[in-house]
Amino acid sequence: MNLGDFLINWIANAPVTAVPYALAALGLIVAERSGVLNLTAEGLMLIGALAGAGTSLLFVGHPAVALLAAMAAASVVSLLFAVLVVVLRINQVIAGLSVVFFCQGLTGLIGTLAKWQNKQLSGLAPLKIWPLSEIPIIGRIFFMQDPVVYLTILIFIAVNFLLFKTMLGLRIRAVGENPGAADAAGVSITLHRILAIVAGSSLIGLAGGYISVVSVKLWVTGMTGGRGWIAVALVVFARWAPWPALAGALLFGCIEALIPHVAAAGIQVPQYLMLMTPYLATIAVMIWVGAKDSRGSQEPGALGQPHVREERR
Amino acid sequence: MISPAPAASRGLGRLTLDVRQDLSPWKQTAFVGSSLVFGLAISLAILAAAGIPPLTLASELAAVLTAENLRGVLVQAAPLILVGLGASLAFRIGFWNLGIEGQMIFGGIFAAAISIYDVGPQATRLLLMGSAAALGGALWVLLVVFLKRRFRVNEIIATLLLNYVAMYFLFHLLYGAWQDAKTAFPQSSPLRPFERLGDIGYGINSGLLIAIAGVLAAGWLIHLSRIGFYTRFISANPRMAKIVGVPVQAATLWIIAASGACSGLAGFVNVASQEGRLTQSYANGYVFSGVLIAFLSRNDPVVVAVVGFLIAVLFITGQTLQVFYQIPLTMVQMIEAIIVMAVASSEFLIRHRIRWLR
Repeated sequence: MNLGDFLINWIANAPVTAVPYALAALGLIVAERSGVLNLTAEGLMLIGALAGAGTSLLFVGHPAVALLAAMAAASVVSLLFAVLVVVLRINQVIAGLSVVFFCQGLTGLIGTLAKWQNKQLSGLAPLKIWPLSEIPIIGRIFFMQDPVVYLTILIFIAVNFLLFKTMLGLRIRAVGENPGAADAAGVSITLHRILAIVAGSSLIGLAGGYISVVSVKLWVTGMTGGRGWIAVALVVFARWAPWPALAGALLFGCIEALIPHVAAAGIQVPQYLMLMTPYLATIAVMIWVGAKDSRGSQEPGALGQPHVREERR
Repeated sequence: MISPAPAASRGLGRLTLDVRQDLSPWKQTAFVGSSLVFGLAISLAILAAAGIPPLTLASELAAVLTAENLRGVLVQAAPLILVGLGASLAFRIGFWNLGIEGQMIFGGIFAAAISIYDVGPQATRLLLMGSAAALGGALWVLLVVFLKRRFRVNEIIATLLLNYVAMYFLFHLLYGAWQDAKTAFPQSSPLRPFERLGDIGYGINSGLLIAIAGVLAAGWLIHLSRIGFYTRFISANPRMAKIVGVPVQAATLWIIAASGACSGLAGFVNVASQEGRLTQSYANGYVFSGVLIAFLSRNDPVVVAVVGFLIAVLFITGQTLQVFYQIPLTMVQMIEAIIVMAVASSEFLIRHRIRWLR
């Protein structure tokens, strides 16, 4: 195999591995913009992955149905997190970790009892955007991806618009930046935070569903393998802004897509050391962020702080 | 004169939230206790839905608590107490050490290295392995302390990600240089008899002695030592601590190193007692167990010993259910998470008063 084929195969695969990172990071950004430190991605992605796989195994329908089920399931479970942190005002790190490990346990239990392990799923055919798909190289990379890849870009445009150009987005950001002031202005903290968590979690669920239904095409216990934690790091890297998160997701997509292609190209690298690269790259990126000037970051002012209106009569 | 009329009630009234000044210890215990019962009830309901009726569960639990199986519980309690200590020491100083599995893995690897490279005489071999394990765990967590101090890397993400790195490094060894040549399984060759933690009579494994020594040492460190005093000062007010000349950096470093050393020892105990060799999974499921034990014991080393024992009962019951009812072991993790959520929720009721105003 020559270098050109290797590069094209690698880059053409990168969007598929980038989509879960992009959607999960975007979902986290929506929730964190409302001031809730959200560590639940790893767990909710598993919920989405299991719900997607289960739906396609139980009802042989269009994969779109499975992806919708993944979104719905993650949203429902995220209500638990929302109640814990918004209503009961539990420490958001403890609540986030608990939800992740709860989801790991629950998906392991359901997946095993329902015997959904290692069952092949049909997947989603790529969408050829003819005639652009016929262009050499570029057509293969940009215009022969599956529909979710294109949908992801639309979702980013929509969420960006919602967060920064609408009244609802302004309220969500106000609640995250200065809940006291937002409360005084009559914006419901509880409502907007729960809304942001649940809406963001549907995107995280989609990210998980995409992994099981479209990318890997089967369910395996714990199959997200730390991608949720990487998404949490991506949010810090992107400084809570959507477009940099997409760029970061592409970077990690490229890194992850490289792993199987290196082995396929017959390059001798110790396999398990190669599998470390996404995690080490994440830490490298975090170091780069930390070394950089922190001005210009859009980190929400009230991130991680529960809001208690102390005296209300 | 007519006093002004009270404000007209608006419909059904509304819920309000006050911050409580304080609540009697009895009521606090009652809140925590009832939320614990609530959490366990939910766990029971989920298990019943998974095909384990409560009565079956009760008989399995009774079986676990017989003298014969209690031995297994005590063996399992040792690593759990150690990871509980590891988590609570770090949490005391406000450091989210979620890298317990990675530290256990490196503890195990360091201990196994002493065995594989045949370092030192047989008589001191176990001591050397234990020290190496503590060192391995401490070094792995200090890497994160360095990243945090030098580059402001968030320790929650860094410790969690380094668990995966440690896991793949372990796989790299077990599928490569350290693979058992006889069986070709991805595990190291068995430890020799003098490298194993044996029984010390009454069926009690000597791993438990290490855990108890850890409890005493951590208790001394937290409650009696100078560093423990500094720790309380730092967690109460780090800026003030620095101003009055408390060596904040050094004290933090020692406490976190001790935390990593405890986790490393937990890895050593699992490798040298239960498994008898380096396996792929001897650290699986310990991160959240450590968090849970530290959380329930309010980071108090002495209470950690009690809670660690109770979680060991949960672990062994989970293993029984896995063997006889094909319930995956992740179920234990789910119950742990439910318990943490329930108990954490009770803190809300302790700190706030909900009132219905009309």
